[in-house]
Formats: sequence, C-alpha cells, structure tokens
Amino acid sequence: MILKKLFSRRKEEYWWMTIAVPLVAILLALITGVIFIKATGRSPLKAYKLLFGSSGLFPSPYWKNHFAEMLLSSSMFISTGLAFSIAFKGGLFSIGAEGQFIVGGIVAAYFGYAEPFAGLPTILHLIIIFIMAMAAGGIWGAIAGWLKTKKGIHEVITTIMLNWIALYLIEDWLVTGPMKANISTGISGTPYISATAKLPNILPGTRLNISFIIIAAAVFFTWFLLYRTTIGFEIRAMGYTLVFGMEAPKASGVNVNRRIIQTMFISGAVASLGGSFIVLGILFQYPPVFEGGYGFDGIAVALIGQNEPVGIFLAGILIGALRTGATSVQLAHIPKTFPSIIEGLIVAFIALQELIRYLIMKLIVPKRSKSD
Amino acid sequence: MKALEVKNITKRFPGILANDHINLSINKSEIYSIVGENGAGKSTLMKIIYGLYTQTSGEIYVFGEKVKINNSNDAIKLKIGMVHQEFMLIPRFSVTENIVLGQEPKRGIFFDRKTAVKEIKEISDRYGLKVDPLEKVENLPVGIQQRVEILKVLRRGAEILIFDEPTAVLTPEEAEDLFKTLSFLRDSGKTIIFISHKLKEVMAISDRIAVLRRGKLQGVVYKEKTNKQELARMMVGRDVVLEIPAALVKRGDTITSVRNLTVKNNRGIVGLKDVSFDVHSGEILGIAGVEGNGQAELIDALIGFTKPVSGSISLSGEKVKSINPHNMRERGMAYIPEDRKRRGLILPFRIKDNMIMGQHNKKPFSRNGILNDMEIDSFAEKKIEEFDVRPRDIYAKAANLSGGTQQKVLLARELSIWHNFILAAQPTRGLDIGAMEFVYKMLIEEKKRGIAVLLVSLELSEIMGLADRILVLYEGEIIGEKKPGETSEEDLGLMMLGLKKKEKVV
Ligand SMILES: Nc1ncnc2c1ncn2[C@@H]1O[C@H](COP(=O)(O)OP(=O)(O)OP(=O)(O)O)[C@@H](O)[C@H]1O
Ligand SMILES: [Mg+2]
Repeated sequence: MILKKLFSRRKEEYWWMTIAVPLVAILLALITGVIFIKATGRSPLKAYKLLFGSSGLFPSPYWKNHFAEMLLSSSMFISTGLAFSIAFKGGLFSIGAEGQFIVGGIVAAYFGYAEPFAGLPTILHLIIIFIMAMAAGGIWGAIAGWLKTKKGIHEVITTIMLNWIALYLIEDWLVTGPMKANISTGISGTPYISATAKLPNILPGTRLNISFIIIAAAVFFTWFLLYRTTIGFEIRAMGYTLVFGMEAPKASGVNVNRRIIQTMFISGAVASLGGSFIVLGILFQYPPVFEGGYGFDGIAVALIGQNEPVGIFLAGILIGALRTGATSVQLAHIPKTFPSIIEGLIVAFIALQELIRYLIMKLIVPKRSKSD
Repeated sequence: MKALEVKNITKRFPGILANDHINLSINKSEIYSIVGENGAGKSTLMKIIYGLYTQTSGEIYVFGEKVKINNSNDAIKLKIGMVHQEFMLIPRFSVTENIVLGQEPKRGIFFDRKTAVKEIKEISDRYGLKVDPLEKVENLPVGIQQRVEILKVLRRGAEILIFDEPTAVLTPEEAEDLFKTLSFLRDSGKTIIFISHKLKEVMAISDRIAVLRRGKLQGVVYKEKTNKQELARMMVGRDVVLEIPAALVKRGDTITSVRNLTVKNNRGIVGLKDVSFDVHSGEILGIAGVEGNGQAELIDALIGFTKPVSGSISLSGEKVKSINPHNMRERGMAYIPEDRKRRGLILPFRIKDNMIMGQHNKKPFSRNGILNDMEIDSFAEKKIEEFDVRPRDIYAKAANLSGGTQQKVLLARELSIWHNFILAAQPTRGLDIGAMEFVYKMLIEEKKRGIAVLLVSLELSEIMGLADRILVLYEGEIIGEKKPGETSEEDLGLMMLGLKKKEKVV
C-alpha cells in the first residue's frame, strides 16, 4: 500500500535521470581511468581488481576488514556531504564543512578527556560529547548565516574565512597551548580521550564502530528534515527561489533570515559529526596536524549524490571505498593517488551532467516514443 | 503565400494532451491571433514552432517547405522569432549590446560598437521602433524593453514573429504602441502570430483568429465575420457574461488604514508621498493609475517588503509596529502579487506544496513541525476541484502549468489562508475570460463576506466594475477619489495623466 503510493507519486517525466546521471558519470570515469592506465602501459584490469578488491565493496580476502574500514571512512564523507547539501537545498553555497569538521573534532577531543566528564558512563559521556561538538560546529556554521543576513556578506567568503580561523585557532593555539598534552606523557597533540568516550565497536575484529550507525541515522534525519518537516519545506522553498531573491517564501511570511541562520547551524552541526567520529573512533585525540580535506570531499560527495540524502549516502560509500582501496593499487605500480583521480573524473563528468542528460535522451527517448 | 503551416501537431505531456492534431495555415503578411482558455495549449504550440519543445507527432512547413525544428537556433535560421514574455535581456547592458549579443559586428576580433549603434538606429528607424541605442536596459520601462526584444528578433532576420501574451505586462498606452508596431510590421511584409486573452485587443488587430480549446482547434474565423461573444463562446463552450454583477454591501468597520505613508523604492527615490486611506470591511477600494506612479511602492510597503520612510499601516484595526511580510500575514493579509512567478509560486514545487505555502506551519497541514501529507493531499484535491485547475493532478509541478492555471493555484491558496484583507495586484493578469469572470466572482464573494479588498489594477474597466471607491495615484500621490457611478473611464484617464488637478484629498 505504502509502496504503491510511493511509486504512483513518481509522476514526473524522466525522474530516473537523477539516478542515471551519476551512474553514467561513474561509468565514464572508470572508463577514462582505463585509458589513463593503458596509456602508462600498465594493466587496468589488475588495477581495478586490486582497487575494488580491497575497497570493501566486493568480497575478497580480508573482506571483513576492508568492509569495516570502508564504512569507517565513508561516515566522514557522508557527514560533510550531507552538510553541504543541507545548505545547498536552502540556496546557500557553504564551503564551511572543513572548518566545522575540525571544530567538531577539537570539541569532541576536549570533552573526551576533560576531567569532570571522563568518569561518566559511556552512553552519557558520548551524548554530552556529541551535543557539545554539534553545538560548536553548528555555531561555526551559523556565524556565516548570521553575517549573510545582517551584513549581506556572501556565505562563500565567510565560510572560507571561518575555515582558516578554525584551523589557526585549533592548530596554532589550542593544540599547542591550552589543550596540549602534558609533556611528560610524551604525546603530541591533545591528551587521549578517556575509554568512556571511545565509540563502541560494532564488528568485533575490526575498527568499525557506531559512527556508521550514527551517520545512517543522520541521513535519515536529513531526509526527514528536508521532506517531512515545515522547516525543510521552507528550506527547499528558499533554495528554489534563490534567483528571485527568495521573494515568494518571504511574501508567504517565511522568516527567511532566521531560516538561513538555522540552516547553516544544522549544516555545521552535521559536518561536526565527521570530526567527532575521527577523534572518538580512530585517532582518540586531536593530533598536532590534522589531515583535512573531508570538507571539500563533501562537496564532491554531494554533487555525485545529486544533493539527495540517499544519494549522498551511496556516494559517500563510493568515495570511502575508493580511499580505502587506494594504497592497494600501488601493487599494480600505480600511484595511490589514482583513486583520487577517479573521484575527480566523476565530479568532472557530473559537471557535464547536462550533456549526459542530453545523450541519454538521444539514446533512449526516440525508441520510447516510437513504441508509444 | 503560406508563411507557416502546421499539420496534425500533437504534443503529449505525461497525463495530458496539450496539443491534439492541430492544423493551422498562416499567410504571409497576416496578423494571426490565437485565443483559448488557460491551458488550452497555445504556449505549447508556439514553443513547438520555436523549437523549445519537440512535437510528439505532426509536421511543420515554413514558406512551403517541410522543416524539422529541434531548437531555437533552427527556428531563427528559418526566420522564425519569438518575443518572450519574460524578456531575456541583460539589465546592465545597453540597448545596442543586448540586441547584437551573439551576432556582434566585428572589426578584426573586436566588437565594433560604432557599426552596431548605426545598425540599431537603422532598423529602429525602418520599423518605427524608437529606442535610445546607448541607454542601459535596466533604466527602461517594460514597454521599451519589449521594443528592444522585438528589435533583437528583427535584426536576426525574422519574417515570422511570435508574440505570446505580449500585452500582459504592458500598460494600456504601451499596448497601443505595440499594436501600431504590429500593424506596421504586417504592412511591411512580416507575419505575426499574436496570443492574448483580451478579446478587445484580438478584435482590434487581427486578420484571422484561431480558437483552441483543451488542446484541440475549435475553428478559425475572420475578424470581420465574428465578434467577442462568439469568440468567447468558442473558447469556453458556453456564454460568458463579461459584465461584472453589481453587489451592494453595507460597508463595515475600517480594517486597514494607511496614514501619511511615504515610501522610497529600491533606487532610493521617493515613489509614494504622504498617502492616506482606509479600506473598510465589505468594500473594494480600487487604486487606478498609470504604471510607475507609486503602485509598486504602495504594494511593497503593505506586504512588508520595504520599510516606509514615514507613516503607518494598521491592519485589523491595530497599528503594525514592525513592518515585515510575516507580521502582515499574521494580521490577516492575503496577497495576490502581480508577478506570480517571482513572488507568488515556487515553480519547482508541486501544486500541493504551493497550495499550502504560508499555512504549511498551521494545523492541520502540520503538527509540531511535521507535515501531514494526508491532510495536505485532501486539501489540495479539494482546491483544484473548486478552482478548476487543469490538469487535476496535485503532483504536477507549478512550472509546468499554463500561466493562467498558475494564477488559479495562487488564488486558491491565498483565499484559503485566514484573512480579512486582500491586497490584490493585477489579479486577472494572464487569465482567460472564464477565469477572469471567476476571479471577479470570488472578489465579490469575499466582499460580501465582509472582507476588505484593495485592488490595484491597470485595467480601468476592471476597477470601474469592481470597486466601490477609486483612488487615483499620480506621481506617488493620491490626486483624487471617485465613485464609479460619478465618473467615467475618460475622466479617470485624464486624472491618471495628471491633467486634472487635485479634486478631493482624502
Ligand atoms: N513542460 C510541461 N510539462 C508538463 N505539462 C505541461 C508542460 N508545459 C505545458 N504543460 C501542460 O500543457 C497544457 C497546455 O499548456 P500551455 O502553457 O500551452 O497553455 P496556454 O494555452 O498557453 O495557457 P495560458 O493561457 O494559461 O498561458 C497545460 O495543461 C499545461 O499544464
Ligand atoms: Mg501560455
């Protein structure tokens, strides 16, 4: 019954394009990858076998571990991908996930090791940590929203600036100053978090922890927010009327300024999840130098996922898999940056989506109308 | 000689047959009008001819030759041009730059401005379309922008010119100018396809008139052999009363009052000066005036888009402290904007979403911030039935609806939101006569219910027929108040042009 309703609603012409376009883009990227490898005189087959064998997408030796690693890194990409798309749906082009991610990370680290919390039961401790990290990441995003509504500064500029501010604040001050671990412990970076702050494992024998469950819930939450709530309704209305200065929602009484700030807050809070995952589930501290980039990969993930929560979930898994399998391609004498090239190619083909759409139409539609 | 022939053109959209085996044969040097109800398929047919849509089946012949038009470049090559309703001009560019864009005269690799300006002067003289080639488009009134658009089409060598509701955005004076242009173009050998809902216009300028109804061609008639009533009957399938029924209602308390309102427009110029008036329950107050005499500023202040420089607005008998759309809505204002695509609807949203916009956060459409689809669907189903929205599909996107249908959705929504005051700006723009009649009925119903209505319109006949009192705006000031019974369109016209001095200041 519900299924029937769901499908009978799909009345739009060519709704399947949203799915077909990214799939074709991925396929084209893989084919281009073949050409690249061939051109350098190596074996594409071997490379892809290695890459996807150790990506966790397909069964292979040590599959369980690959699979766990893949989900672990996917969680981070999904988090920043969702963050980008939430803002994007509201007509906001936020580049700020990078900063919100590390703000989430440093706050998670602090509440992970700070004394008064370190003795709490795990559940309680984790809840406190996540609330704090998300609040901090959210505020980091909301600042950009606030500056846009009050001063009219475009969010692209403010979010980029906030990224740098977060980076310097954390790495040049907090991690080397007030939050620096005691020298006598021999640890660089912040102290290690207490055992109660570590994300519980869900697949024994691997590093996979509840971060993946949390992010899956976040995907659902984002979908629910955007499509089932009044706030999401307004966010989408804003995004759709961006070229018209959001006049239609404004005229209907939507407090657009407040929604912009809220949207940026939610976006920032979701991005901070990824930073918390990495600190609480992988590194167990905030290191002196953080290997970043998740924020920017998030934009790619959102693009591939067509800015839809489910799409981002799948795209995040794809990127996570490429990264997990990355080092293995070295066995085929291909640099481990090769999977990043594939990722870049996918994005490039997505950027050509109008062309892809056109080609698909050319290929498929005439056949359909003849049978009409 | 036949300029354009379409044979058995059919266009199917999911769930709707927009054009159903249409045959037209249009002569060279003819003004050929197409009329029909909202959603009859006029725009669709034009888009097919101009290459924006591809027909599902059927053939097109241009000057006797069978052609395939895949995109608008093909159409331009075949000397077909279209004057779009939403002008595709770049506001910051000059008239010349806009016209030559894409086909610039060059000297070497550089843009040859001098030649371009000379060329524009030449065509503009040839067709009597006066423009200043160096003026920026953003500084031009709509009527002149349309002229630029026509020049652009002519410069590309168009022989067949399509005008889809060109007069919907024009003032009556600008429309007169356009008609002169159209006749001149016809006399100089061009072929004109003209679409309008205003039968008066159609009767004034056409040679032949084709009537579409629900995708089918009802018939083609010579102007001389028909009249407005017959056309209306062919379009709607029944007799249409074009008169507005008088409705006597005892006017009640003041609902909305405006005091000493002074408003600057977005260019920082005072557009509305010290305006005061009241709108009472059970009354329709008409605002007449030539476009650009303060109507936009008045509307923007009333809905809360611009904060007045001075003065106050009271709604439901209470002064509004902080003027913004949210507060205006909360105090019972319904708003029918003149630009429905920009301010009214959210085009990528479905009909059902648009139907609840503005009351989406109220029960029963949502509870605790969560949307209730069952309620939304049944509400939307009810409304599309009540307002005869076609297609009867609440999942159809607003962007895919015909212009008039969009207006119906907007009306359905605004009138179902709780209100005691309606701010209606050009509520019948783009509507067919049947729908127009319907809107008039709705407004009169509202008035009978004791709602206060402020009707801002450029159509004098509309204001004369509906309003209980008429205020005339001229250069941002109210220069007179009249009752429809005590005045005539001519009289009002003179006041609108500022030729009659202030008569009675409210
Ligand atoms: N792109 C589209 N997708 C789906 N349906 C469409 C699309 N464009 C038009 N339609 C449908 O086709 C029908 C004809 O629309 P069209 O715009 O041609 O009407 P029209 O005669 O121009 O009406 P109006 O006078 O209101 O402008 C309408 O029912 C409309 O909903
Ligand atoms: Mg139309």
